[in-house]
Amino acid sequence: MGRRLLFPFAAVVGQADVKEALLIALVNPKTGGLLVAGEKGSAKSVLVRALAQVDPAKKIVELPLNATEDQVFGAIDLEQAMTCGRKVFSPGLLAHAHEQVLYVDEINLLRREVLTGILEAVDRGVNAVEREGISHRHEVRLTLIGTMNPEEGTLTPAILDRFGMFVAVQREMDVKVRADILRRVLAYEQDAVGFVAQYHDETEQLVQRCREAHQRLGRIEIDPAMMQLAAQYCTQANSAGHRAELYLLEVARTIAALAEREYLLPADMERAAYFVLPHRMRQEDAPPPPPPEAPSEQPEDQEPPQDQDSAQDPPPPPPPTDDQQAADPPPDKPDEADEPPPPNNGEGQERTADIDRNFSGAKLQVTLPQDRQARQGSGKRSLTRTDLKQGRYVRAILPPGTLTDLAFDATLRAAAPYQSSRPKGRCAIAIHKADLRQKVREKRIGNIFLFVVDASGSMGARERMKMVKGAIFTMLQDVYQKRDQVGLIAFRRKTAEVLLPVTRSVDLAQKCLATLPTGGKTPLAEGLDSALMLLRNLRKKDKNSRPILVLITDGRANSSDGGDPIAAALSAAEKIGRTGIPSVVIDTESDFISLAVARQVARSMGSTYYQLQELSEAAVVHIVQNALSS
Amino acid sequence: MRTGVYPFTAIVGQEDMKLALILNVINPGLGGVLIKGEKGTAKSTAVRAIADLLPAMDAVRDCPFRCDPAEAHHLCERCAERVSAQEPLPTQSVKMKVIELPVSATEDRVVGTLDIEHAIQFGEKKFEPGILAQANRNILYVDEINLLDDHVVDVLLDAAAMGVNTVEREGVSYSHPARFVLVGTMNPEEGDIRPQLLDRFGLSVTVTGEHAADRRVEVIKRRLAYEEDSDVFAETYKTEQTELGQSILRARKLLPKVQVDDALLMLVANLSIQLDVDGHRADITVIKAALTLAAFAGREQILPEDVKKAARLALPHRMRRRPFEEGVLDWSAVEAMFADPA
Repeated sequence: MGRRLLFPFAAVVGQADVKEALLIALVNPKTGGLLVAGEKGSAKSVLVRALAQVDPAKKIVELPLNATEDQVFGAIDLEQAMTCGRKVFSPGLLAHAHEQVLYVDEINLLRREVLTGILEAVDRGVNAVEREGISHRHEVRLTLIGTMNPEEGTLTPAILDRFGMFVAVQREMDVKVRADILRRVLAYEQDAVGFVAQYHDETEQLVQRCREAHQRLGRIEIDPAMMQLAAQYCTQANSAGHRAELYLLEVARTIAALAEREYLLPADMERAAYFVLPHRMRQEDAPPPPPPEAPSEQPEDQEPPQDQDSAQDPPPPPPPTDDQQAADPPPDKPDEADEPPPPNNGEGQERTADIDRNFSGAKLQVTLPQDRQARQGSGKRSLTRTDLKQGRYVRAILPPGTLTDLAFDATLRAAAPYQSSRPKGRCAIAIHKADLRQKVREKRIGNIFLFVVDASGSMGARERMKMVKGAIFTMLQDVYQKRDQVGLIAFRRKTAEVLLPVTRSVDLAQKCLATLPTGGKTPLAEGLDSALMLLRNLRKKDKNSRPILVLITDGRANSSDGGDPIAAALSAAEKIGRTGIPSVVIDTESDFISLAVARQVARSMGSTYYQLQELSEAAVVHIVQNALSS
Repeated sequence: MRTGVYPFTAIVGQEDMKLALILNVINPGLGGVLIKGEKGTAKSTAVRAIADLLPAMDAVRDCPFRCDPAEAHHLCERCAERVSAQEPLPTQSVKMKVIELPVSATEDRVVGTLDIEHAIQFGEKKFEPGILAQANRNILYVDEINLLDDHVVDVLLDAAAMGVNTVEREGVSYSHPARFVLVGTMNPEEGDIRPQLLDRFGLSVTVTGEHAADRRVEVIKRRLAYEEDSDVFAETYKTEQTELGQSILRARKLLPKVQVDDALLMLVANLSIQLDVDGHRADITVIKAALTLAAFAGREQILPEDVKKAARLALPHRMRRRPFEEGVLDWSAVEAMFADPA
């Protein structure tokens, strides 16, 4: 393999930003690597793979998603150990990628430990391996390039920060350009050899340009004024740490070198900022930071400025652009003072609110800690050890008791060095009990989100339901990415109704949500009771399930089978609290006279409590569930 | 004709599914087909039948990946070495097979892993090929692909996109060709399939059971006849089968010669923009499917009908579909564009 004729770099139509960033990363490894994000089918990986043609001295070492740790970082050389009884280090992908380009496609799907391990090694310039009796260190200097489709999941800011540059790819919208793309793809597929030959000269020019730029790099001086400018950019972008400045200067220097200049222009810096800053920008009024042990994810904030041409002045990075956010101002928070107190009389009517799709970025993120209990299931949100013989083989350990899932490679490696000295009998290899290793497998398990929604008349007042639906909608979007399951219970009039039993189909959940009418009284206690029943059944069906209850109500409980509706609600809440099921309460009460029932309910359930208004103000809200680890 | 396989031409109805399968075997570069629909709609019968329909192909005899000696750019390491050492490649003809990927398959079975036996006996690392290796040049059939484990889907995706399976696990580092026609089936009521995976499928069709009573009767009649004596049944369809097999071969030969004019290219590009589909894979697939349709019809020129038919197979599953919006293809919009190409 490997002699396949790749689509020529020079033949890719458009995508000027990605091409430039790739050349910068290739010419100057000090620019800190590159992350390319974009929708599927936008030539991301075609370009990265084609990069090998631009610098014939460099290899593009690809790291497949199925790579195990020993393959990435290196391990004991099995053959040497078996035949000569010597412990020799067998280099992994990191060693092969030394002074080359390491490419990870779908980097957001790579296992977190592998990714952080790689970033760590690249950052320190050293890969230190301590495993299987091998202790080895070797130098790592490489250019890391990752591509990802943000729809499939995001990377944490800490990981994003490690990448020097970031580019977002978009598809071409011009009919002529698109037709041109089609023409070239067809030509390439019909006759790859001929097609590649057509671009031979252009490719050669590119090779030459990069070689010269590389030689020119060292001659480009950076004067103090430029350093000043770099610092200014970074302060304006509110970027954390000092990595950004260094990358900024290196990228600017490379841009100048590629432009065949031996001095820096402010325009170089501006262009550099376009690549270096977008993924580092922090919002000034960021919500209270989450606890340090829970890395947060900010999916929408990573897109780079879209309009690069208008950035004439030093502060180029416009605020993070999310199409929706840019187009529509966030809905104003309900202005209480101007409106009459809530009509509690709307209870007889029934209406159906729209989903507020522009619900201003209340990204509810539930960050769940990794737990130690073995579970089974499938999903993306939570990492969990699995005792099925399924899931990714992460690493091998000494068996904790009886061996159930033999890690053969590790066992063999453990036994190998002693083969020359051990009596073997009739077997080809002598394995002692002490050599046995067990596989540790890991799977991502989706959680079950049970939404319990107040659909009473009071919720219908003043677009409140629209906001609630908007909030649930954003949560559901996250749920979808993480492959969680959802259920939906609504309570109104006299009863609670399971509108949607727990399902994988987020589509169904959305349909239910869209048609959910409001009207009638608020039987909060009934809502909680039926939630409890559903949760108990879930546990019975599958003790490994991991439900999370999300209650959305204004707390105006006024209907109950008997007795005080509020007291009934609180006692139901306590029962849920005792199950230890993590929960979140979103309080939609926004009236003059606050009854704060929802807050009390939250306390009884031991939930995290939010007000809907807060959610609409904060860009990102992290709901951290530590309860699960207990 | 082997006994036991229901003849492709004897399948009643399901024209879209049959067409999508035929197009994929004419042009394996189309990217497979996703069949959505209820149980018992002849999905797996059709997949097995199409593989059976095709005449045998040339393959390197002792190669675990059945490399095609005629395709120098897609040989596995060993075959490539032999070619560069000027050794002749021994060939044999093999039938295209249907390789099934069970939903419970583990990742190591799918991508391949360390050959344990070999490691014990010889103290050497050797790669033991997995399902993706078997799938090279065959049909990879994944029933209920929406229930497949997430990371298995990820590696499947990777291999399908690249035509290469790269393995870095358990002490083995290996890569081999994995070019297959991916056929997935799913029942949409049982959960979603990730958009990223959807997009990798070239075509998609929705199948439903036949509704007309006489058609249903015909389905039953043929099935009974087949079960009674499959040889006799096969004999009845022999001419049709041979004809279809021949026209597939003819289409394969014709395919490289099929031309498309600029106006149609623009139309396809415009279609994708108007319908707001992600990326460029949609345009590319529509054009490739149209080329294949023209070849199947024995033409060297694409006609607007080819594009229209191709769009119906290649676009529905690519409609931009945020998690809760229905990805619906507005067919009237497509019709309008054909009526009045901008």
